[in-house]
Amino acid sequence: MLPELSHEEILRYSRHLLIPEVGLDGQRKLKNSSVLVIGTGGLGSPVALYLAAAGVGRIGLVDYDVVDATNLQRQVIHGASTVGQLKVESARAKMLDLNADIQVDVYNEPFTSENAMRIARDYDVLIDGTDNFPTRYLSNDVAVFLGKPNVYGSIFRFDGQVSVFDARRGPCYRCLFPEPPPPGLVPTCAEGGVLGVLPGTIGTLQATEALKLLLGVGDPLIGKLLLYNALDMSFDFVTLKKNPKCRVCGPNADIHELIDYEEFCGVPGHDHEDGSAGADWDIEAPKLAAALSLDPSLFLLDVREPHELQISALPRALNIPLGQLASRLSELDSAREMVVFCKAGTRSARALELLVSAGFKKVKNLKGGINAWARDVDPTLPIY
Amino acid sequence: MPSVRLPNLMKYYVDNQREIAVPAASVAELMDNLLAQYPALRPHLFDAQGSLRRHFNIFVNGANIRDLNGMDTPLAEGDKVLLMASAAGG
Repeated sequence: MLPELSHEEILRYSRHLLIPEVGLDGQRKLKNSSVLVIGTGGLGSPVALYLAAAGVGRIGLVDYDVVDATNLQRQVIHGASTVGQLKVESARAKMLDLNADIQVDVYNEPFTSENAMRIARDYDVLIDGTDNFPTRYLSNDVAVFLGKPNVYGSIFRFDGQVSVFDARRGPCYRCLFPEPPPPGLVPTCAEGGVLGVLPGTIGTLQATEALKLLLGVGDPLIGKLLLYNALDMSFDFVTLKKNPKCRVCGPNADIHELIDYEEFCGVPGHDHEDGSAGADWDIEAPKLAAALSLDPSLFLLDVREPHELQISALPRALNIPLGQLASRLSELDSAREMVVFCKAGTRSARALELLVSAGFKKVKNLKGGINAWARDVDPTLPIY
Repeated sequence: MPSVRLPNLMKYYVDNQREIAVPAASVAELMDNLLAQYPALRPHLFDAQGSLRRHFNIFVNGANIRDLNGMDTPLAEGDKVLLMASAAGG
């Protein structure tokens, strides 16, 4: 039995009720349905707002993070007044302000192999709005094992991808990507940036697909993937088929329960930069400042992209972007002591690995990058 | 001749082009010719054993080459090859 709509709800959803594909029964279906939004960031923001506005009866939010100032360029569900608050609480308040008739369940915890099945079990549709590979593979496997659709979206700079993975009716995420990229080869948005409106475009497409699935109307994006590029304003569709060798949904699947996804991907299940190359290789910003005052000629290698030097820079540092380092090693003197840095220490940690494997021994990584330098040594520099 | 479109991230290795016309009669030949012209792409696309990295997919006119003839998939005049990498951002 579908729930009835009150007069207030009928007025609120009037524009839906006028569409024959939705109508009164469709709106009652939405009221009776549930969606789990995994991640309350760039993609999760428009997804959660539009599903709340559309009257999806129960929406779950999973996120363990707090709102910070760098989120506000794209995570429109949060605001300046909620910086420092839990993302799930900030999002819930905004959703209930938009529509107090819905129920918002919050899970202020990382989505992990330990809790994922329990959290996801009672929802009709899962939405993958995560920002890292381990959680994407986890979300996929949970959806496959529970037999639920997983509405996938991902973003980077100007590129977006959207699909609906439903292993009962088509391929899953692993059919397309059996393995994650080697650690460090694909930058995260925290390292490489993202156009603020891009998650709006991709997230609203995910919300659209979720509503279609709940209503049972239209052609879901199952077996198809949309590639969007904002610079070209191009929308390319490709066809996806089930991979007969898929390890979770193929006929000879050998993965039947959740695994250790951080180990599988070789990266942590978040996109925060910890900026460390390991205690033996790190140097803290104040220590570097002291070392530079003793020896102003200490060699500094900046592995950021050239346009980042306009934001902040250290005097006398040589700039070789990480992507060019392997082919420009001959410009460096391996006998000389050297400190490598980037924005927050992640790229420089990779540069350090490359240098060490090439025989450099006197190398240190500026822990936390130039942002740590700005915070701890030179507050005249901005943090970005 | 066929053309190949690369992920935005790769354009820095191909003189900021998004779509490149490459003479080739098969996907393998297209990749060989593309890498001969832009060798900096190689470590991004292929592993040390010379296999296409598994977080990449190649589509010819919208179909995954895995569902066609893999790297031996023939190419004809005007075919659109699309190289897609996984992305985690959200």
